[in-house]
Amino acid sequence: VTALEVTIANRLDELPRVVALVDELARSCRLAAPVVADLQVALDEVLANLIRHAYHDDRVHQIRVRLTADARRVQVEVEDDGQPFDPRTAPAPDRGSSLAARRPGGVGLHFVRALMSDVQYTSAGSRNRLVLTRNLTDQREAAPRGDR
Amino acid sequence: VEIVEGSTDQVTILQARGRVDSTTAPRLGERLQAALGPGGRVVLDLRDVEYMSSAGFRVLLLAGKQADTAGGRLVLAGVVGKVHQLFDLGGFLDLFVVASSRDEAVTLARGDAAR
Repeated sequence: VTALEVTIANRLDELPRVVALVDELARSCRLAAPVVADLQVALDEVLANLIRHAYHDDRVHQIRVRLTADARRVQVEVEDDGQPFDPRTAPAPDRGSSLAARRPGGVGLHFVRALMSDVQYTSAGSRNRLVLTRNLTDQREAAPRGDR
Repeated sequence: VEIVEGSTDQVTILQARGRVDSTTAPRLGERLQAALGPGGRVVLDLRDVEYMSSAGFRVLLLAGKQADTAGGRLVLAGVVGKVHQLFDLGGFLDLFVVASSRDEAVTLARGDAAR
């Protein structure tokens, strides 16, 4: 099992550090490009949403991102102390079919639910923990056996 | 994201490459906004984009609306692979003019201007 971790502040300009962490995992586990894309999109959605909406003071808050991978799946844990929000309960996005009427809200968390194999969320005390799982479904996606 | 700009037959071609996410989407938005001035005709080629998060779709929606209100035209090309999957998941395929090739995109963007 490969595990990598980073702690970022609740600012959007910290997100490239998480992008780099996913790339590092991808390199060391030889993850296929579509898997890397799914992980990057899901983390961008979750973290941007968290940073934009979960904090209601001017203090610096820490968000811990931990990635673990084995031959069968990649798991992403996000721990924060923001206002609890279960992404599984987010409403489905507006799917209005005209450009003028279409509002972009809600699409991000829809991407998370669609791209990830499983989404778990718990909130206890002042800590929230989100666990995303991306199964590696076939030979091309799976990390080579014994790879670290 | 890297954006290479060219033009042909009065159409601006923006070739995007790499990743479109919360960090990079504003850059793409600025380029689209500048190219879609009054009557601006733009082809955005996404063939070399690895992925686009909702931040990218947000700037595409704004650019599409800008084109509609300012008499311009935005045509997408290279909507393939992972990017196509994301367009499909988000219900965005019907909201944009999506061409199946760069040449077709230029023809569609040029529209009446060429006749």
